[in-house]
This record gives sequence, C-alpha cells and structure tokens, in this order.
Amino acid sequence: MALASVRDLRFSYPGRDEPALDGVSLDVRPDEVVALLGASGCGKSTLLRALAGLVPHFHGGTFSGSVEVAGRDTRRVRPAELAGTVATLFQDPEDQVVFASVEREVSFGLENLGTAAGSIAGRAREALAAVGAEHLFERQTTELSGGELQRVCLASALALEPRLLLLDEPTSQLDAEAPSPLELARESGWRGAVVLSEQRPDRVLDDVDRIVFLERGQIVLDAPRTDGLAWLASNRPAYVPRIFVEHPAPALPGELVCRLEDVWYAYRGGPPVLSEFSLHLRRGQIVVLSGPNGAGKTTLGKLAAGLLEASTGTVARRGRAAYLSQDPGRYLVRERAVDEVALGVGGDRERAARALACVGLGGHGERHPRDLSSGERERLALACVLVTEPDLLVLDEPTRGVDPERKDELAKLLRRQSGERATLVITHDRIFADSVADHVVTLDNESDVVHA
Amino acid sequence: MLAALAAAALLAHEWWAIATIAAVALAVCLGARGRRWPYLTAALITPVTIFLVTPFVEVRGLHVLWSGPTIPVLGHLDVTTEELAAGGVQALRLGAVTLAFAAYALRLDHDRLLQAAWFARRSVLAVALATRLLPTLERDAVGLLEALRGRGVKVTGVRGRARLVSPLLAGSLERGLNLAEAMEARGFGRPGATRAPGPRWTALDRLGLAFAPALVAAGVLWL
Repeated sequence: MALASVRDLRFSYPGRDEPALDGVSLDVRPDEVVALLGASGCGKSTLLRALAGLVPHFHGGTFSGSVEVAGRDTRRVRPAELAGTVATLFQDPEDQVVFASVEREVSFGLENLGTAAGSIAGRAREALAAVGAEHLFERQTTELSGGELQRVCLASALALEPRLLLLDEPTSQLDAEAPSPLELARESGWRGAVVLSEQRPDRVLDDVDRIVFLERGQIVLDAPRTDGLAWLASNRPAYVPRIFVEHPAPALPGELVCRLEDVWYAYRGGPPVLSEFSLHLRRGQIVVLSGPNGAGKTTLGKLAAGLLEASTGTVARRGRAAYLSQDPGRYLVRERAVDEVALGVGGDRERAARALACVGLGGHGERHPRDLSSGERERLALACVLVTEPDLLVLDEPTRGVDPERKDELAKLLRRQSGERATLVITHDRIFADSVADHVVTLDNESDVVHA
Repeated sequence: MLAALAAAALLAHEWWAIATIAAVALAVCLGARGRRWPYLTAALITPVTIFLVTPFVEVRGLHVLWSGPTIPVLGHLDVTTEELAAGGVQALRLGAVTLAFAAYALRLDHDRLLQAAWFARRSVLAVALATRLLPTLERDAVGLLEALRGRGVKVTGVRGRARLVSPLLAGSLERGLNLAEAMEARGFGRPGATRAPGPRWTALDRLGLAFAPALVAAGVLWL
C-alpha cells in the first residue's frame, strides 16, 4: 500500500499558461527513498510542494488530478494539518527559520502539533542529538553556518516523527565531506519514506531505492535504482555519478593576472580568516578552491576580486575583475533578464542577449528575473558576470541548484574561454571541480593550504 | 516597560519629561551589543524630519522668525518661535518612541517574549518577525551592493541607492513568502497548539510589569 499517491496531477502556477506538472502519477511506499532528477524548472520542487499540500493551498494556481498522503486528499486538508505526517526541508535553510534560538526553533513544530508541553524540550533535544547537533541546543540560529542551520532544520522536521520526509536540494549548502540530510536522517534511526530533489546526484544516488526523472513537468523515467542508473547512463549521462571527467590538457599558463602574497585577513573584531596566504592566478588557468564550510574560501575570492582589502600582505591585479556571489538573489535588480545582464555593460542588450544564450537562457531575456527557477537564477547571475568579459573571473559556488547537464555545459564553456582570462572557481562540487580544474587549492579551517 | 515608556512619551506634555524618556531609551540602546547604528540612525532621521517639516504645516504663534512666499495649497509660509517649539516637542516625542522600539529590537530576547505572551501569540510572532526586517534589509543591501561591484557597476548618489529600494523590498517580500510557506508546512495555524514552558518570571520581570502601568499613568497625569 502506497503512503503517498499522485494521480494524473496537472498544475499551473497563477498567471502561467504552461503547466509546471503535466499528468504526473507516482506512488511512494512507506519506507522507500525516491530521487527526483531533472533540469532546473522541470517541476521537481512543485511535485514536492504538491506532496506537502502547499500546492495548491499556498500557491494557488490551476490544479487537477489528486494527491493523497496517508489516505488524506491534499485538496481537502490544509498543509498545516498534514504537518506531522509530512515534513519538508526546503532548499534554503535561512528562509525557513522562525526563531532566534535553536531550542525554540526545533520546538516550534512540536508546539503546533499539540505535543504535551512538558515533553517538548526533551523531544527537541533528542531530535538535535539524532542528527549530531545536540551541542547547538542553546545556540542562536543567527550564529550558525549554512551546514549547521540545515542540521537544525532537519532536526525540526524529524522531531515531528513524519512518515514522509521531503528534501528539496538537500546538499546544496554542504561541503563535500559533510553528511547529507538523507544520511543523517537514516543514521538517526528514523524510518519513513523520503522524496528528494537533487542536482548533485553523486551525493545521493547510492542511497535511493527509486529514480524518477522529470522533463517539462512530465515523468519520463520511474524505475528502481539499478534500472534507473542504466537509463540515465544511456539517456542522460551527465546524471550518472562519475569519478573523474577528462578534459583537455591545460594550455601553457599566460601572464600573471592576480597575485596574492602573504595575505592576512580578519573580519572586524574576529580571528584571522586567512593568514600568510599566497596564490598566483594566470591567464589561461582555472584554479579551483575547495575546502570545508568556514575555511575562508569566499573571503579569498573577494580579496582576489578586490571586494575586500587585505589586512596585511599584497593583492595585485591586472585588468578587470568580476565576482559571482554564491547568492543568485543578488542579481535581481531589473525587471527583465536581459536588462539585468546589460546592467554590467552600460545597457548593451545585444551583448547581454549573447551572454544569456551562452548560459542556456537564450529565450528567457524578456522574463522577469524573479520568475526564474533557482537553477535559472544561478545561470542568470553567471551571465551577469560573464558579459563583462573580465580578465579575472571569480565564481563562488556557480553550480548551486544547477542541473548536471547545465554543469557540463558550464564546465565546457569555462574551459573553452579559459584562454581569455584567469579563473578562480570556489566549489564544493567535486565532479564539477574535476571537470574544470587545472589546479586545485584546498583550504582547511586553519587556513592551511594543500595544493593538488 | 518599553511599551510603557513609549506610551508615556506619547501622552506626556512637558518637554523635559519626554526628553528624559528619550534619554533613558537612548541609554538602554547604547548598552546593547550588536549593530546599533541602523536603529539609532532611524531614531535620528525621523525626529529631525518632523522638526523641519512642522513649522511649514502648522500655523500658530505671533513671533515670526522668517516670512516666506505664498504656496498654493499650503498657503503663506512662515516660521514662528511657537511653531519651532511645537516641532521640537513632536520631534522629541517621536524620537523617544523610536528609541523605545530600537531598545526593544536590540535588547530583548524576542523568543522569550513570545513564550511569555499568553494572548495574541500570532500578533506577537508577527511583530517579532517584523523586527528582523531592518537587520535583514541591511544585510541584503550590503550583499546587493557587493554583487553590483563584482559586476563592475558603481552605485553612487542618493538616486543610485534609491533604485535599490525596490529590489530590496521585493526580495524581502519573497523571503517573507518563503517563511510563511515553511511555517504552514510546520503546522502553524493548526488548532490545538501547545506551548513549551518558558523560563520562570524573575522578581525584576514582575516589578517591571507592575511599574509599567504606573509609568503610563504618570505620563497622563503629571508629566
């Protein structure tokens, strides 16, 4: 018997003609893990929201077909009433935190479900302990890193003892070494069904039972893991986890574009984030910077791009530098995507249109940037910096929320254009790093540096 | 207590009483850790604006300091000593209220306040979430400016910065919607909610609660 059952679901968001989901049918058994894969904007997040009842109750729109969870029709019960049966971990943990203290945050859902007052604190503590975050119980949510915050949000979800856990891009905030929320949930002893959407299949495909592939709102694959991997290998090879991707031998490094010598940096009143750090970036070379959260990678990228001034040491640049922030929400200033990109080149819409085409958004120039999916926003942000044709390009987590096929295209684009500039890529995505890097620099939390 | 301070500032008549309340609220703010300047700037700008505008929209007093032209709708513009005094008191009043809010935002544990609320919990939660708006907007503005610099776009002047207000507010609205969605998914608004027991009230808490109505009464009757 299925825990969740989706039947011929068609859904369009308000004001949109094209359906986000188009005739989707899916069953989820009580103990299975289902991975939803597919390109950005193909309907994965919408399907998760439908399973939580948020579509259509919260978003409105046109809905036909049915979704039943634990025998309850989501058209007739509100999402709040499904809480406890279903729990959702959204993509950006910062956008789901209600309280300033971790204890209150984890207690919030338990209170809403009417848990006996005397047992709330104990259950909150147990949930945090189950995901290895009991030490955060008395901390403030504002002080936590993205990875820590995600653990708190997972604890908040698991504290409700849901039968169905929905994970939307659960590894997007995590470094390569950090355990994924799916691993943490399973290690905690919780047993229930999981449906997750993921753009880093290498992080999750070993642990799933079934693979569902969506394309333009329709399911084109629904198969057990082994069969699904075989289908992906022949039809969507970019989604198959790979150890290493071959790329052409690096060109001979060209002129020095950016030189960091003995750089120290500390944020006001804080300990040094970087100490005695040196790095040379040359035209024609792609350097990948990796390491755990909090190791100083973003700070280093900003120093190289001139957005921060080193406390001591030398940072010398030749030519123009551009920096891609890891938050694509910072590239939503104008009303049209093409105007957003043109902002960096004095309003030159032709150059902007070329840059959009370069990142696969050729037909999206007239759309409002806020109407784009998270993966599309990431590519829009990339177009915003590529259009400036910089001598030094710093990309901070450029693949967050980007689907594997687009990542491959981005890797090829960076390789193809690498002779025009020096490129510094900060990424947790090992496969992407392997695909583009001429040289890998790994920072650890003490700013010790390992070159590879 | 802070609400009582603000109420007393609104109800008091004597300028020195309002100034004292503003000074107390300012001292409370200055004792706070964290980023005080956005709140203190807001607490300065709003009263100064009131002080500057009041003489031109009020008509009172005989001691004319400056006589200006006649403007359609507004009438004859002049500035009198009495108008300046009235503007000063109104500015002081607004400054005291803004500083009391700043003290609330900077010094209070909003989670604990919410736990202590035995009625209108949704309203208290809405206020607690709204209090986050200013620091969140400030952080977003810094990020937006940094991203623009990273694209080689310079934002200069009041007009350039004013253009960022719309995307900042749109971003804030989007964040609010995301939060509301997450709250609904976590059962917010479901009947039969319970509440984890909060920390016990201290003697100081009880004293503050007893003193607050007295402060408001004093504002009405004697100050």
